Amino acid sequence: MFVLSFLARRLLQGFVIIFLVMFLIFTLLRVVPGDPVRLMAGGMAPEALIEQIATQMGLRDPILVQFGRYAAHVVQGDFGQSFVRPADGAATGGAAFNDASRSERAEVLTLVAQTAPRTFQLALTAILMALLISLPLGVAGGLYPGRWPDRLALYLGSIFVSLPNFWLGIVLILLLSVKLAWLPAIGYQGFAWTILPAFVLAIEMAPFMIRTLTVSVAQVMQEYFIAAGPVRGLSRSRVVLRHGLKNASVPLLNLLGVQFSMLLGGVLVVEYIFDYPGLGLLTINAVLQRDFPLIQGIAIITSAAFVLINIAVDLLATTIDPRLDY
Amino acid sequence: MASVDPALMGKLAMAPDRGRSLTRRVWAEAFRQPEFKIGLVVFLILFLLACFYPELSSIDPLKMNVRGRLLPPLFLGPNWSFTNPLGTDQLGRDMLLRCLVGLRYSFLIGVSTVIVMLLIGCTIGMVAGYKGGWISTILMRLTDAQLSIPMIILAIAILGVSRPTIPAIVLVLGLAGWPTYARVTRSVVMAESRKEFVRGAKVLGASDIRIMALLLAPLVLPPIVFVSVLDIARMMIFESILGFIGLGVQPPTPTFGNLIADGRKYLLNAWWIATMPGIFLCVTLTSVNLMGAALERARNRIFGGLA
Repeated sequence: MFVLSFLARRLLQGFVIIFLVMFLIFTLLRVVPGDPVRLMAGGMAPEALIEQIATQMGLRDPILVQFGRYAAHVVQGDFGQSFVRPADGAATGGAAFNDASRSERAEVLTLVAQTAPRTFQLALTAILMALLISLPLGVAGGLYPGRWPDRLALYLGSIFVSLPNFWLGIVLILLLSVKLAWLPAIGYQGFAWTILPAFVLAIEMAPFMIRTLTVSVAQVMQEYFIAAGPVRGLSRSRVVLRHGLKNASVPLLNLLGVQFSMLLGGVLVVEYIFDYPGLGLLTINAVLQRDFPLIQGIAIITSAAFVLINIAVDLLATTIDPRLDY
Repeated sequence: MASVDPALMGKLAMAPDRGRSLTRRVWAEAFRQPEFKIGLVVFLILFLLACFYPELSSIDPLKMNVRGRLLPPLFLGPNWSFTNPLGTDQLGRDMLLRCLVGLRYSFLIGVSTVIVMLLIGCTIGMVAGYKGGWISTILMRLTDAQLSIPMIILAIAILGVSRPTIPAIVLVLGLAGWPTYARVTRSVVMAESRKEFVRGAKVLGASDIRIMALLLAPLVLPPIVFVSVLDIARMMIFESILGFIGLGVQPPTPTFGNLIADGRKYLLNAWWIATMPGIFLCVTLTSVNLMGAALERARNRIFGGLA
């Protein structure tokens, strides 16, 4: 029963958050200068035509009216159509202003559904790689605080945070893909194309994991039940793995929930560098083309994912550590 | 046997000199760590170079020199020269100078952004924590909402449709980054404002603003400010990402982002144009991050559970 009331409360909170995100992004896009119609119709379109299109699309109504209309559609699962992207996925960008094919614009939901799986694959690979990098470093650092593994974790962590992801991406493409030809880098034709971008993302996430692990492992190792381990005749590795690491994994899990939005930010840049056809590339293009419905749709869907992931993280944390309260 | 927690040792060692200001003790503690010293030395060298080298140098970072274009860095290819230690770009502009000017902008934007973030975040967090009730609920839901939109999406969404000037960049990054500060401030203020001295001040008739500004702020802010050093580095990276996408400070003003974006086009025949600014940025950020990490550790040892 506790679980149910917890779920109900969190889902309710989640809806509030998603609604706020929707409102924030909707108003921000409309308050900030820059006219999407100008971009859609092209620079040469006459002023009167632009006004006409804008009025037709309801872009000259008061923002609250527009928002109400949009929200009503979203509730029914209709995120609208992209301003600029045609449904067949062909050329994008400002089509001619007398283009009669407005009805053939791609659905936002379809665009997101097409790209999300690739981004998901990228993110999952990246998280696994980040765990592979940070687990040994972080655990070693936490087991020997103040000694060289701890220092190593600190220095490596500081260097990793300082590597700008886009620069690392470029350098890796130059070294591994162009000079050595070990891994493919640009575009997407199979899993091999995920490896380099995922590695760049992993390097971006790893320092935070290393730091959290170092701190939480060091803390757990202070506990009495750890000191009691050897007395109970348990081996060192069993104490560290079963008692130390298990308890230290809860903060790591919480971190993953918080890092989700950071991961998405990284995905954006990395997909842009590697021309990886995922959600991030879609977002950047949407922003550069002032494709309001697409930006809004992506923001709402990602914030929903954020809410769900954080609920899942909390549920998982209570499963690992039953002492935690909902 | 588990080794002794340094944090605990720190607290025990610190017990006698309770009198010294906590802030001074954090600095002293940070200074005791080698990471802090290394970071500080590297940072000071770069800082002084960025301040003075462009002024003293005889060349102009924007001046083109077509005959001396695409020169490699020192010792790393044909035709290198001491006048251009990091080589030149496709228009013969000196890379070292351009990196240093980029560093100026990057640092300026990083620091101002963190100040904006602190101002917005701490004010909101303090009001929410002190007032509690529905104000707190509203402010915190807003914070959650903003935390769930990736900061970069927000920043490029706004900068993409408006004109990226320096104040706009600072404001956008600041607006995108405040939620974490609001959260931390709120939780500390909530704990502190239940204590005797706050209730005492209330009984004595102090106004809410007075309590927040004079009693709570000096207590709550220092530990948060120490951690914000790490955010300066984070913001400098964000600034460079914006520059790279073309939404940062616009060329010809050199920034790390647009330098690397430029160099990317010449990657195959002049690798240094994209690589050098990155190394430069990375070294700068590592120095800031080392200092930040040392400060954070020192803060944790001295403030203990607070914040």
